[in-house]
Amino acid sequence: MLLLLTRPRYDTPTHYLFYWAGLLIDEAKKNSVKVIDLDRNKAKKKKLHSYLAKQPVDVVILNGHGNQEAVAGEDNEIILSAGDGTNLLKNKIIFVRACDAGTILGKEIMQQGARGFIGYVQPFIFPSDKDSFSKPLEDELAAPVLECSNQVGTSLIKGKSVAEAHKDSLDKYTKAIDKYSSSEATNSFLLPILLWNMTSQVCYQ
Amino acid sequence: MEEKNEAQAISDSEDIINLVIARLKTIPSNVELSVGNEGSFSIDELIESVRKQDDIGKKMIEVQLAYLRSLGKLPTQELQNAAPAN
Repeated sequence: MLLLLTRPRYDTPTHYLFYWAGLLIDEAKKNSVKVIDLDRNKAKKKKLHSYLAKQPVDVVILNGHGNQEAVAGEDNEIILSAGDGTNLLKNKIIFVRACDAGTILGKEIMQQGARGFIGYVQPFIFPSDKDSFSKPLEDELAAPVLECSNQVGTSLIKGKSVAEAHKDSLDKYTKAIDKYSSSEATNSFLLPILLWNMTSQVCYQ
Repeated sequence: MEEKNEAQAISDSEDIINLVIARLKTIPSNVELSVGNEGSFSIDELIESVRKQDDIGKKMIEVQLAYLRSLGKLPTQELQNAAPAN
C-alpha cells in the first residue's frame, strides 16, 4: 500500500492536524505502508497533482482547511477542488480532514471514479488547551476529538474498507461520548463538539 | 395575533442565545476552539459572537442545539422555531 498525506502547518488548526496526522505516518511505518508525506511547503497543488499522476497511490489523506468545493494546503493555497484534480483520485480511497468538503467535492471525487471518500459536511471543530500549544499531542482537550478522526486513517492504513474505517471512527466517537457523559467525567463541554463532528462525518463508496 | 407570534419568537430566540452563552461560560478559560476555516477562538470571543449572532456565533448555537436536541431535553419544534436563521 502507498499512502499520501498532506500536512500544512501555518495556523493553530493546521498546527494540531500536522502533529496528529504525524501519528498516522508512525502507524503506517508500523504496518509496512509506504508514505509520501507532503508536509508544510510541500503541501502545494503542483506537488500533490504530480504525485497523484505519477505514483501508484492507494490512500490519500488531506489535512487542512476546506470548503464545500475545495481543500487547501500550505498558506491556504487550494490544492484540490471540484473540476481541478479530482480525476487524479480515480481508484483511490480519500479521507479529507477539512471542513465541509463532503458536500460537493466528495461527491465529485466519487463521480470521477474514486473507490471511497470520507469527509465532513460541516465545519470540523476541535478544542485545544492554550497551554498545550507547543505539545499538541499531549493536549488532553484536543485528543478526544482528534483520536476519533485519526481512527479513519488508522483503519485505512490497516487495509480496512472505507465503510469499515468510517464505522470504526463512529464507534470511537460513541465510546468518547459515553465516557464524557458519565456523572464522574470532567470536561463534559466536549460532548457537543464530539457529537457535531461525529454527525458531520460522511462516507461515500 | 401575528405580532404576538413574532414577539414570542424573538423572546424564544433570546432565551436560546442566553442558554448557549450560559453553556459556553461553563467551558474553562484556557480552552480555545478551532472552528473550520474561521480560525481559533477563545471562549470570550465565542460568547461575543453568539451575542452578535455572526457566522461563528450562529455555528456555536447550531452545535449546542444539536447536542441539546440529541438529549431530548428541550422540545425540538420549539428550538427550531427559535433558532436564528443561517
